[in-house]
Amino acid sequence: MENNANMFWTGLSPDEAREALVNKDKSMRDKRMSLKDAVSKFINDGDNVGIGGFVDVRQPIATCHEMIRQGFKDLTLSFQSAGMAPEYLGAAMILNPEKCNIKRIELAYWAHEGFGLAPGWRYLAERGLIDIEDWSNYNMSARFKAGSMGLPFIPTRSPLGGDIKDTSRTKIIDCPFTGRKIGVIPASNPNVSVLHVQAADKFGNCIIRGTDCTCAEIAMASAHTIVTCEQLVSHELLCSNPKDVMIPFAAVDAVVEVPYGAYPGACRRHYWFDGDHIRNFLGLIAPIVKGGPTDALKAYFDEYIYGVENFEGFLQKVGVKDLLAVKALEMQNCERLA
Amino acid sequence: MTASTDYTAQEIIVVAGSKILEDNKIVFVGTGLPMVAALLANRTHAPGLIPVFEAGAVGPPLRHGLPVSVGDSRTFTGASYVKGLNAAFELTQRGFADFGFIGGAEVDMYGNLNSTMMGDYPDGYQTPKVRLPGSGGASDMAASCERTILIVPHDKKKFNQQVSYMTSPGHLDGSPGARQKAGMQGKGPYRVITTKGICDFEEGSNRMRLIHTYPGETVESIQEATGFELLVSPDVSEFPAPTVEEIRLIREEIDPNGVFVKRVAK
Repeated sequence: MENNANMFWTGLSPDEAREALVNKDKSMRDKRMSLKDAVSKFINDGDNVGIGGFVDVRQPIATCHEMIRQGFKDLTLSFQSAGMAPEYLGAAMILNPEKCNIKRIELAYWAHEGFGLAPGWRYLAERGLIDIEDWSNYNMSARFKAGSMGLPFIPTRSPLGGDIKDTSRTKIIDCPFTGRKIGVIPASNPNVSVLHVQAADKFGNCIIRGTDCTCAEIAMASAHTIVTCEQLVSHELLCSNPKDVMIPFAAVDAVVEVPYGAYPGACRRHYWFDGDHIRNFLGLIAPIVKGGPTDALKAYFDEYIYGVENFEGFLQKVGVKDLLAVKALEMQNCERLA
Repeated sequence: MTASTDYTAQEIIVVAGSKILEDNKIVFVGTGLPMVAALLANRTHAPGLIPVFEAGAVGPPLRHGLPVSVGDSRTFTGASYVKGLNAAFELTQRGFADFGFIGGAEVDMYGNLNSTMMGDYPDGYQTPKVRLPGSGGASDMAASCERTILIVPHDKKKFNQQVSYMTSPGHLDGSPGARQKAGMQGKGPYRVITTKGICDFEEGSNRMRLIHTYPGETVESIQEATGFELLVSPDVSEFPAPTVEEIRLIREEIDPNGVFVKRVAK
C-alpha cells in the first residue's frame, strides 16, 4: 500500500462524527434564528467548514458575508467546485488576515467558469498562505458521501494515474475482490456545513431545485448545518411530497430565510448569475495578485459587507434594478406561471 | 456550404470539436468551449447527442441559451434526469459516458493534462508559480469516460515534454495497458483539438499524432509550436475552414455574448 501523505482528519474523525450525532438533540423543533446567531453559534475558530453549491450556483453567500463580519480563524474549507463563497472569504483574508483567516482548503476547483479565474485563489496559493489539498469533483463529492454514510473511506477510480493521488491523502490498494488497483479516499466530516437551498420548513427539511450539487451529502456528513433558504414554508407544504425532501430536518441546526442568499451567484427558479457584479468583484482582487493596492477591494468591503448590518443591507446597496434583472433572466431559463 | 474567411482560432476549435462528437452518443461535457461545441453539434449533425453535465443534468435540449456554468439552470430545463455530482460521476464510472470532453492549460505527448498549477512540482506544490483552478471534474472524466476529447490552445509552452502537474491522466507514460495497470477504465484520450490542428494517438505508442492541419497551418508550423516531437499521420490532411453558417450559428445563436468564444482576431 502506498502512503502518500500523513493521514489525519482535518474535520471530525469518523468516530467523532458519529459521537457528535449520538449526542445531538435530533428533535423536530423550531430552528429558525437570525443568520448572525446561527454563524456565532455554530461556526468556531479552527473548524472544517463544508461549503455547499457548485461554482457560482447556490453558494451560501449571505452566510459568508456574516462570517466575514464576525471574523474567523484557522478555518479549513472543504468543497468540490466553488466560486464566490471562497472568493469573498479569501478576499476578507487578503484585506485583514488577523480578523479573517483560512488555514487550509480541500477542493476540486476554485474559479468562476464563464466569469473567469479566481484571483483570491491565486493570491492565497501563490504566496503559500494556506495548505492546499487538491481533489476532483467526484473525489470531494464521494468524500462527503462516505462521511454521510458513516464510513471512514470510499473507493473511487479518479485519483488513479495522475498526481492528485500523490498530493492528497489517497491510498492506492489492490481491490480485495478483483485484484486490480483502486483508490480509497478518506471521508470528509466537516464540523459545520453552510448551504443555501430553495425552500425549507422551520424544522430544517429542505427542497432543492436544479442541481442537487453535493448539498445533502455535506449536510449529512457534518456535525452541524446552517441552512439559508429563498423561501420558508409550512411543514405541511414542504413535506407534501416527502420524496422531494433532499435534506431531512435532523441534519439541520439552523434555518434562516434569506431571499437572494446566493446572489450574485444563481439560484434556480429565483435568479440567474449577476455576471457584472461577479466580474466587477474579481476585477477588484486581480490587481492585488500582482502586488497592486487593496484600496478598491477595501472600499467594496466597507460599503457592501462591513458597512451593512445584514444581507438585506447588502441587497439594498445592490439595488432593485439589478435584483429584478437577474430574476428576469432566470424566468427565461425556467418559465413558470406565477 | 460557403467557407468562412473570417473566423477566430476559438471558433475553429468549436467547429472541430463539434464534428468529432457523434450523434446519439452520451458525452460528458466540461465547462467552456466543450459546451459550445456540444451545442453546435446538437444544432447541426448530431440532434440526438445526449449531453451530461457534471452538476447533474442528463440530456437537456439546451434551448435556453448557452450555459455559463455546468451547474447553470440552463442545463436543467427539459433534462431527462437531474441529480447531483455524485450521481453524474457514478454514471461515468459505471460506463454510461461514451465521450468526455475536457480542456486544460497544458498537455504532453500522451494526452496527460494539467489544470492545477504551473511551477516546481512536487517541491513547489504548496507555493505554485501560477495557481490554476484545479481538476473540477476533468480528472474524473479522464479516469472513467470511455474516450476523452481534449481541447488545448496550441503553443510551445502548453504542449510540453512533461506537464507541471498531471491533473487528468491520459495515456500516462504511453506503455501498453498503462491505464488498466493503474486501475483506470476507458481507452483514454482520443482526439486533441488545438488552435492549429487536430491530433489522435498512434496505436501502440499512444503518442500524439497530427491528423489534420487547419487552413494556413502546415505540418512544420504545427511542429514548430509544439514542445515535443509530434508524430504525423501518413494520411494527414487539411481540416476545412468553418462554413459561413457554422460561424453564424456560433456568433448569433450559440454564444452571442462571447462568454466562451472570444471575439479576438485570428
